[in-house]
Amino acid sequence: MSDPATLNPLERIAEAPADHYRVLKISDLEGDALVELSQFMKLSLSREDMLAIQAIYREWEREPTDVELEVIAQTWSEHCKHRIFGATIEHEGEGGTETVDSLFKTYIRDVSQRIFDRKPGFVLSAFHDNAGFIQLDDELAVCLKAETHNHPSAIEPYAGANTGLGGVIRDILGAGKGAKPIGSLDVFCFGAPDTTADQIKADDVIHPLGVMRGVVRGVRDYGNRMGIPTISGAIQFDDSYIYNPLVFCGTAGVIPIKDIEKKIEPGMKVVAVGGRTGRDGLHGATFSSAALDTESHESDQQAVQIGNPIEEKKAADFVLAARAKGLIEFITDCGAGGFSSAAGEMLEECGGTIDLDQVKLKEPGLVSWEIFISESQERMVLAVKESSLPELRKLADLYETELTELGEADGSGILKVTHHGRTVCELDCTKLHDAPTRHLKARWTKKTAPVEPPVLTNPGQALRDLFTDFAIVSREPVIREYDHEVQGNTVLKPLAGASGDAPQDASVLRIEGSRRLMAMSVALLPEWGKTDPYAMGAACVDECVRQLVAAGADPERIAILDNFCMGNPDAEEELGALVETVKGIAATAEIYGTPFVSGKDSFYNYFQTKEGPVSIPVTLLVSGMGIVEEEGHVTGASLRRTDSLLAIIGHTSADLGGSVFARRHGLENAPVPATRTEEALSCYRQYHEALKKGYIRSTHDVGEGGLATALAEMAFSGKAGLEIDLCSLPMDDDASKAAMLFGESPSRLVIEVAPEHLAKVADLFDGLPFAALGRATSSHANLRVEWGKEILLDEALSDLKTLWKTGLARYY
Amino acid sequence: MEDRPCALLLKFPGTNCDAETARALEAVGFVTEVLPVSALKPEKLVGVSLVVLSGGFSYGDYVMSGRIASLVTEQKIGATLQDFRDNGGYLLGICNGFQILTQLDLLPSGSLVENASGRFQCQWVKLRKLAPDSPFLAQLPEEFELPIAHAEGRLVTKTPEEAEAYVKGGAAALVYADDVNGSFGRIAGLQDESGRVFGLMPHPERFLRKRDHYDPDWTGPEEGEWGSGYWLFRSLYQAIVEADSDS
Repeated sequence: MSDPATLNPLERIAEAPADHYRVLKISDLEGDALVELSQFMKLSLSREDMLAIQAIYREWEREPTDVELEVIAQTWSEHCKHRIFGATIEHEGEGGTETVDSLFKTYIRDVSQRIFDRKPGFVLSAFHDNAGFIQLDDELAVCLKAETHNHPSAIEPYAGANTGLGGVIRDILGAGKGAKPIGSLDVFCFGAPDTTADQIKADDVIHPLGVMRGVVRGVRDYGNRMGIPTISGAIQFDDSYIYNPLVFCGTAGVIPIKDIEKKIEPGMKVVAVGGRTGRDGLHGATFSSAALDTESHESDQQAVQIGNPIEEKKAADFVLAARAKGLIEFITDCGAGGFSSAAGEMLEECGGTIDLDQVKLKEPGLVSWEIFISESQERMVLAVKESSLPELRKLADLYETELTELGEADGSGILKVTHHGRTVCELDCTKLHDAPTRHLKARWTKKTAPVEPPVLTNPGQALRDLFTDFAIVSREPVIREYDHEVQGNTVLKPLAGASGDAPQDASVLRIEGSRRLMAMSVALLPEWGKTDPYAMGAACVDECVRQLVAAGADPERIAILDNFCMGNPDAEEELGALVETVKGIAATAEIYGTPFVSGKDSFYNYFQTKEGPVSIPVTLLVSGMGIVEEEGHVTGASLRRTDSLLAIIGHTSADLGGSVFARRHGLENAPVPATRTEEALSCYRQYHEALKKGYIRSTHDVGEGGLATALAEMAFSGKAGLEIDLCSLPMDDDASKAAMLFGESPSRLVIEVAPEHLAKVADLFDGLPFAALGRATSSHANLRVEWGKEILLDEALSDLKTLWKTGLARYY
Repeated sequence: MEDRPCALLLKFPGTNCDAETARALEAVGFVTEVLPVSALKPEKLVGVSLVVLSGGFSYGDYVMSGRIASLVTEQKIGATLQDFRDNGGYLLGICNGFQILTQLDLLPSGSLVENASGRFQCQWVKLRKLAPDSPFLAQLPEEFELPIAHAEGRLVTKTPEEAEAYVKGGAAALVYADDVNGSFGRIAGLQDESGRVFGLMPHPERFLRKRDHYDPDWTGPEEGEWGSGYWLFRSLYQAIVEADSDS
């Protein structure tokens, strides 16, 4: 035996040497040694966690196996347990200090529960399954789930994004008894494409262009091969994302309502379907619960998996066929934590045995813990009746996927894992749910200050300048890389209008078997969050809802998802920004009556550069799904006729903060416009009434770049020029010309209506901010905007469109 | 006995346009079976009028698009498929199905390789039909639109002259109005000498109804709700029904 001094922390305490698992004698270890062990095993467990585990085993009067420690590390990881959202946080905000007992419970779950109660029957499942379901019609439900895959995409952009999408598709396949994936969204945050080498202050960081190309291709190659249309998305560029790019992938699904509830019972067989298990993807869950540094680029590559979409396509075909035949009792995907979390989730209440000898391996020689926590892709775990097995085997053969019986549920309440004839893990999972509650401190102080409104000497030049900004330029080169029409149901496409290349607010999918449709959209405004995270939260919910309503969704039937990314939760200011954001989304969602049905968070998005740590700003993605009552309600964002009149819904604030204009003109700290939620909700309801009456030809939401940008984008359909007068624009008395043209106040929509309908529409908005803006024209092809007698803009739409279309195309 | 003609759609691992293609076939009148290729055997072609290879990424298309699917098809039903064609059967390949058909040597020789752009391209294109009497195109106007979605749709022949000969001689039944992917002769679809085997890169099943067009105001030359893709399948259906009643 070797000299004890040369032994690693694990070898020093390993008992009963067996080649495939070890018992680890932790009962006598001091805190420091426990931390050392956690670090050596890459468990990402804190001192408190390790001490808590030690106490549990002392109570059980035995020592853990390495498999058990790995299982607990997965179960307690930030990735799986969301311990920061469950933490007790002492928060010092503008209005004083408060103690938040779990952000999730207080601001997400309880708010949503109150909305569920207000709208009985709408939300059919939320928070406990892989994805939340809402009712589509009497027979069908739709669901949506979004995940992040940030750390893997930073290290290996193609594979990271590839498996990011692959993973969220499996979430849908594992939602209910197996939902059918029908559409995907992808949202990215990158450093600017024109980042220069000297702006990157660390070694081995991939240039933003390399990250962007790899990520887009990764999403493309998974989504396109799976035959799921990628219909919705966004890209944000900011220097703070150079080291920690963000990759959000989401997928929507549809399922018969009767197949949502799933239950595992003693005697059922646990089977795995799909790909084999290998050493790829070890410690993904725990790796994503820590920060990155240069060394991560070398040492953590094992945590990034390799995707094989065809393996998943075969498994998906199998799952959907098996569910249709009623052969599935319970299903979940193998995501973070691999079999340990899938089987754990399945057996946590019922208990049962998993036999690792049955697992089909990619290579021989894997030890027990490697098999049990490997995050190899394309695997689903099912619980089925024994009598269904023969038919399931036939289906697996038909779709050429591998089905393996792993074990069975036994009602014991104990998760037991055997390997090579020995029990390598025996845990009462109910005892493991109480990971120590974290106690954190947060604080937020106001970052905005009143600014002098800028003098706008050349509005035309300012508008042209905006159309070159990476925040605004067309995403067409990226969108066209995704098949957004496979399945043949994409009614409102991401690029549409008479020219087929104009931007849309939301996408709308027809649902096979229903006369109703589903709209999907995304909203994120990280620039707002830098100075006013509460306003960012409110405005993101507003924008997502507004885009869905604009495209034809019923404002009463919208559900949303919250995905958060942030840097270091132990930094009080950063955590404070998160708390403020969560409060903003909660207050807004409660008023809008749009429940959260699923959400996810990603922490430790900071990087140790040579000049110190760089964190991302708190970044919130709100994605949403809305029910569109009938196909006739689907409304695009592109101008359709030359005889139309245009009108604006919503109030224009004097505040320029958060806008692209403000950023480009050095006004980063200008106050950010607040969301006037009650008024906005009334506007959306009245808009929907107008839409149902057939008054609306098209609608575009006013977003990045403000009203002038929205008007130009509407006219990018090439159908007509625009003649606009802002003299009756509903706005703050002190709103500057810049705020009128380029401010980004939320809750605003520009609508196109037939001349004979304008008065009727105006009646619907009595008492609400609404004004006629002008008209479409065939006499020129310009965007002409006047303010009383002053001509503010007279720009050729073709020139603006060229700027808009070529801005990103040069880099991608 | 069912009066409607039967279509058999082969589903390979990675085929992903089978559901909407089956929906289109059913909409025009075909009885349609989607058959996973693992269950494919020669007897499956009995009573079938049309064999369809739909879009997707058969076996991932990692080797060369359509290559492995063509080998599997060859091995399972190679000779039967030739007989099927020789005895009046129809074969339609869409996108990946077109790629598979070219690999099966059922069409004039040519290869579908990476687009000149080096990218996957999901967009709508204008098409011109050069074979007015093709049973697949009879009810379509001279020029119409369909969406494409492919990374490897550039048709190349051994020499550019060969492609030109296809265009002049009618083998190139369908061409792009503009150069979208670098195809020689802008060829978008090929037919064999019998006219009963046809492959195209665009996706007719995605333009079944007018409402599927990107422009909400698109009306097209025909009355009613149907889009150009419908008329492709409908042409084929009528040709098959008429051929059956003649025989």
